[in-house]
Amino acid sequence: MRTAPASAFGRLWQNERFLSLALVTPALLTIGALFLYPLGFSVISAFSVEDSGFGIANFTKAFDFYSNDILFTVIIVGISTVLIGAFAIAIGGYLTMGESPLAVSILKWLYRWPLFIPFIVAGQMMRTFLAKNGLMNNMIVGAGLLDPSQTTSFLDWRGIVITFVWKQTPFVALLVAGAMASLDRSTIEAARNLGAGRIRILAQIIVPQVRPTIVVGLILSFVVMMSVLSVPLMINAQNPTMLTVDMAFRINTYGDYGVANALGFISYAMTGFVAWIYLRQGVRQGGAP
Amino acid sequence: MPGESLTVDHVAVDYGTLRVLQDVSLDVAPGEFIALLGASGCGKTTLLRAISGFVKVASGRILLSGQDITSAPPDKRQMAMVFQSYALWPHMTAAQNIGYGLKLRKVPRAEISRRVDEMLALLGLEGFGERSVTKLSGGQRQRVALGRALAIGPRILLLDEPLSNLDARIRQSVRHEIKALQAQLGITAIHVTHDREEAMVMADRIAILDAGNVAQLGSPEEVYNRPVSPFVAAFMGADNEIRLRVERRNGEIHIPASDHNDAAVLLDGESANGDGVHVVGPGCGDVVAHFRGEAATLIAAGERPPGGLVLRGRVRQMSYPGGIYRYAVDVGDRRFMVDDPRRIEVGESVGISLPAAALHLYPAELGRHEVAEE
Repeated sequence: MRTAPASAFGRLWQNERFLSLALVTPALLTIGALFLYPLGFSVISAFSVEDSGFGIANFTKAFDFYSNDILFTVIIVGISTVLIGAFAIAIGGYLTMGESPLAVSILKWLYRWPLFIPFIVAGQMMRTFLAKNGLMNNMIVGAGLLDPSQTTSFLDWRGIVITFVWKQTPFVALLVAGAMASLDRSTIEAARNLGAGRIRILAQIIVPQVRPTIVVGLILSFVVMMSVLSVPLMINAQNPTMLTVDMAFRINTYGDYGVANALGFISYAMTGFVAWIYLRQGVRQGGAP
Repeated sequence: MPGESLTVDHVAVDYGTLRVLQDVSLDVAPGEFIALLGASGCGKTTLLRAISGFVKVASGRILLSGQDITSAPPDKRQMAMVFQSYALWPHMTAAQNIGYGLKLRKVPRAEISRRVDEMLALLGLEGFGERSVTKLSGGQRQRVALGRALAIGPRILLLDEPLSNLDARIRQSVRHEIKALQAQLGITAIHVTHDREEAMVMADRIAILDAGNVAQLGSPEEVYNRPVSPFVAAFMGADNEIRLRVERRNGEIHIPASDHNDAAVLLDGESANGDGVHVVGPGCGDVVAHFRGEAATLIAAGERPPGGLVLRGRVRQMSYPGGIYRYAVDVGDRRFMVDDPRRIEVGESVGISLPAAALHLYPAELGRHEVAEE
């Protein structure tokens, strides 16, 4: 007796490789359509020149007009990242080692609030808080610490940094505090037992063990801050400003997608560079990033 | 490194509203090795953590060589703890782990490296100094943890079940290594364990803890041969128990015959220099007798050996743990575990023969956790 031959479709269906490809295809198509296509399109647009096809004219123009803003963006986001890291470690450290249960639970309850506030609302809040006659200066003057004539507006690069740090610290602290909480507590107690104070334990025992989490949190924050438009627009729309404001300006005022895309490409190169540093470090440590 | 004395004076510890250490007192002599032995939840680790300063004491005092350290923070007590999980720092090498305490004490770099090498040699870890602790075996990690604790020359060495994560074969040898090292260095040590044999082998004295109290404190021989309460007797392996009616007169314990036992006249341990029955309390009327399975022998149903108590029953189960056979013998409605070198079939009628020295008698009205007035 002869067994019936399996249909071509049946054979294909039984092929595991085909099945797994079929399963990942929707995800691949989504990434392709929503990320790779626009990315490729903007890269091509950045390198396109009206008359002669391809060239770097858009980049030359971007650097001529906006090199100050590129530097400004790098400095603002860099300072913010460092401060976010410091605050997140301090919050995580206190949540892990704080000895007052009341203070720990109040901090635990409070520190996450900014996570739920959109950037644009945070920007608006900071405008009323940091202005020359804003809430912060009113409180300082009310407390008798400064005379009204001595107050200054913080609505410049400092305002952007304050807003970014206020908004992004909870996100990194959330990741970092979770990683710290999952450490073997006896590694902390062992250091305490040998005579280490709490600051030293944080710096030498806890942070080195959760460093991969800190780095991931900071890179994600870096990328988010690079792409925020509302905060620099609301707090510091003067010169110099951040690249996102310049991109919006090129498009809205001149319809100049070429230079806007060149600026986008530069932002992308900056975040790519940070990600590359992180990946390289992961490889050097011989383990998972 | 001369040993220092430690006094735990009426210490109580609360976790929230729950009192986990009731009123514990303990005197540890310089250079002594004390084991805190007990079941899970008895308070032994809490006592160790109170001594190390990680747990706040609700009342009482802790003195280190006469100096009150009750409220000193853990980092100021100059004690060193070896943790159950070893608690090594995975981002450091073995040498960095061992040298960390010295670095904290601002010891010069050359001196740290010399002391670390000395420790590595002492612990048989030469050549492993530069290796990451994550690449060491369980036994090696345990030794690095011990080296890290000893390197600072602590005033007291605290061991929190440091052997429980090792496999059985290595555990045997590490027990002796730790004990030998402690004796060689003359350092006072307090060791928490739930393993009776480990406590017996390592400690000079054993404190048996029960529900937040010290049930008995004594040398291994004392707690093994003269347990002061039914709880200690059961915890030290004398977990077979039977109710008897006895009379104590003229240096003898008289036990009348019943459905389950033959009549017996046994030497009273107090007058027989320890060879007779160990009696706690008056030793008259209703008592609970405790005995170890390995102290009994099984005899044929009709056999009547002189000078011991014989319980009559039937073999219900047999197993062979190695060397001897272990039998479950039913006597009336009670079941006893008894060891015997001979093979006896299940279902056979047997006698459980108990020499006088195998028996520990406690007043029947005594709760399992109480100690009789002597």
